[in-house]
Amino acid sequence: MTLSARLLDSIASAAVREGLADAVYTRLETPIGKLLIVQGERGVVRVGFPGESVDALLAQVAAHLGPRIVASDRELDATRDVFSAYFDGVDERLDVPVDLSLVRSDFRRSALSLLRAEVGPGDVVTYGALAARVGRPRAARAVGTACATNPVPIVVPCHRVLPGGGGVGSYGGGPDVKRLLLAHEGATFGR
Amino acid sequence: MSAVVLPPFWSLVEAHGDELLVHARRMTGDANGEDVLQDALLRALRAYPRLRHGDHLRAWLYRVTTTTALDHLRTRRREVLTAAPPAVVAEPEHYDDAFDSLIGDLPDGTQAALRLRFVEDLDYEGVAARLGCSVVAARRRVSTAIQTLRTQGIPA
Repeated sequence: MTLSARLLDSIASAAVREGLADAVYTRLETPIGKLLIVQGERGVVRVGFPGESVDALLAQVAAHLGPRIVASDRELDATRDVFSAYFDGVDERLDVPVDLSLVRSDFRRSALSLLRAEVGPGDVVTYGALAARVGRPRAARAVGTACATNPVPIVVPCHRVLPGGGGVGSYGGGPDVKRLLLAHEGATFGR
Repeated sequence: MSAVVLPPFWSLVEAHGDELLVHARRMTGDANGEDVLQDALLRALRAYPRLRHGDHLRAWLYRVTTTTALDHLRTRRREVLTAAPPAVVAEPEHYDDAFDSLIGDLPDGTQAALRLRFVEDLDYEGVAARLGCSVVAARRRVSTAIQTLRTQGIPA
């Protein structure tokens, strides 16, 4: 790939301006590695961890939003700033529009929406407690699945959901990343 | 959302952008290549969700770029000849038709060479095999055809 960055930027911006892009993506360097951030018209639709295949993640987005996906740091400037502010500890709310259309069931969607709305930076909740708050106190396992398949990790903070029995449990980005994010937010949890 | 599985558009740009820029420059000159490629990729984006299948996407991008480059040359020529504002070129729904009409006035052998190279996406060895000539001759035939389109053969 030797096309100039200026030309690629220009093409991607023109595509967005003319309403030809179903989604835009960017790669952002962070303390936990290079994140993939994909944003559609309605908001951030997918966040990928460093170890995940960019091709596979983009193909997943293409299947839902359409194949006209372009890359542009510039078009996602505002979103990149919000993520950087989170990792810099300047503003940990990650206040960006989110599109949960990659979530496969209504239950998972309500669990993730509620998690994002009610469990802020510095807080943690158990899978069971979150299930109770969604109105399905016995659905701790289903809440676990909702978290495990969360298409927008970090933004929808499934790292703040912990097993009732102690420890940090599993995480898409790995348990170390989960611990790191919680420590970064100043949460109290059993290590 | 289409039933056809198409790869994310940018993966095509990453895979083929370089050679498409070379192609656009060869057809329209170094100074215009980037503008032509941008225009071509935006046209391709517009048409992308309507594609009926996801095969031969590289060849398709070559056709869109070729058509865009020829439109560019035609518009420039009209500006030079008439100094009048160029007519708006209708957006072709199907680039194969546009491509055919643009090369329609060329000799049959020349058309065949262009079609083998840019529609069937054959390399020069493949073009040579199909035309029954040497690789050097195939390459020369395609490049002469592009030259012809650039300098005189473009239907106004």
